[in-house]
Amino acid sequence: MIGAFFTTIAQGIPWTIALTVSAFATGALLGLPLCMMLMSPARPLRWLARLLVLTLRSVPPIVWLFFIFFGIGSGLLEISPFQAAWIGLGLITAANMAEIYRGAFAAIHPGQREAAIALGLPGRYRFMDVVAPQLLRIALPSCGTYAIGLLKDTAISSTIGVNEIAFEAYHLSQRTFHSLDVFAVAGLLYVLISLPMAWIAHWADRSMRRRLAR
Amino acid sequence: MAPNPAADCSKQVLLRLDAVGKAFGALTVLDGINLAMKAGEVVAIIGPSGSGKSTLLRCINQIEPPTSGRVEVGGVTIEVGRKEPSRKELMQIRRSVGMVFQSFNLFPHLTVLRNVSLAQERVMKRSRAAADAVSMQLLSRVGLAEKANQYPSRCSGGQQQRIAIARALALEPQLMLFDEPTSALDPELGLEVLAVMRELAEGGMTMIIVTHEMHFAENVSDRVIVMADGRVVEEGPSRQLMRSPQTDRAARFLKAVKDR
Repeated sequence: MIGAFFTTIAQGIPWTIALTVSAFATGALLGLPLCMMLMSPARPLRWLARLLVLTLRSVPPIVWLFFIFFGIGSGLLEISPFQAAWIGLGLITAANMAEIYRGAFAAIHPGQREAAIALGLPGRYRFMDVVAPQLLRIALPSCGTYAIGLLKDTAISSTIGVNEIAFEAYHLSQRTFHSLDVFAVAGLLYVLISLPMAWIAHWADRSMRRRLAR
Repeated sequence: MAPNPAADCSKQVLLRLDAVGKAFGALTVLDGINLAMKAGEVVAIIGPSGSGKSTLLRCINQIEPPTSGRVEVGGVTIEVGRKEPSRKELMQIRRSVGMVFQSFNLFPHLTVLRNVSLAQERVMKRSRAAADAVSMQLLSRVGLAEKANQYPSRCSGGQQQRIAIARALALEPQLMLFDEPTSALDPELGLEVLAVMRELAEGGMTMIIVTHEMHFAENVSDRVIVMADGRVVEEGPSRQLMRSPQTDRAARFLKAVKDR
């Protein structure tokens, strides 16, 4: 019976992974311009960025998803549950990644920038060759931790009907009344997905740390 | 000895500073600095901390743009208040001026070889193979060819600073700026860096060295400049100035250094 639970709930795995990956990719990308805005010398831009980050981070994810799916999604725009969850979690991730990047920027020694300028490197190479690789290296552990957190947060998308792991588990428990077994299996699946993510993050961090340790 | 006008004419002025000043808001860090250097000259700048020595170096290669005066270096003239220097002019200055920092500032994510090659590829548009070949020569010159494929973190401070010198030399600068290159090193490691710098000076490189190494200032540089409170308080031939300073301020600083 547990085996049958497993196969049913496992149908949610692709959706859980798809949502995690797409929301993380969106956030990692959008986080960069947002971080630039946070560090901008122009005050209005900085304030706008701070306001965005504050709003995105202080409203609970589930409220965001309801707001997007039931609010914007009913009437204003046609949005599927997956799209709504993607947009919501992607934006929240962008705010968090912007803060992670900002911390990483601050951790790069100011002498790196000076040395790159003194060598006459044009701005784009200063970023691509000097800043970005070090940024990645510093931000990587926090990104890994955040990605695992995000994986678990995708469970709330079950509330707007994305048929990922938690969704499948909830409906299975409603049909079978074996809630204990069903949710134990669901929990196990989350652990099984988290583990390789943690390994990859750890491995990437270690292989880079070996080279860059100062 | 009679001055030799022919020899003087052959040596063009490489750097000229006219009334260069730098202020951060109400705080004046540099106040009306004048300096002219000919090719091949070695100038040491000494003085107490906070006297503006490092800022002066940074104003020359425009890492810190000066807030007044005129800087003429590497065929480019930048005059504060006339017009903003163009990107091209800044690039030209940075290509002709190499800089070595107190904290080395090697790129920790690149191998020693890549550290020296990077700007050759990006700035001089050399091919990777050509850049690496030049880098290997330079690394041999500073005695570190065997470190080429290591990361900087595997090198001692003295080695890192010698790599930083090779990195700056890779752009074939006309002028080298050294900002307290041995201050972060213990005395023995400092010596190997000073040896490389002495060789450079003997090879005819034009150099400005901000330093607390008084022996080096006296023996290797042609001229010494003493700075205090953002001004030049005394300037003269090295040996003469170090042994018998003419101003009270310079004498006080040199006495403090010797009494340590």
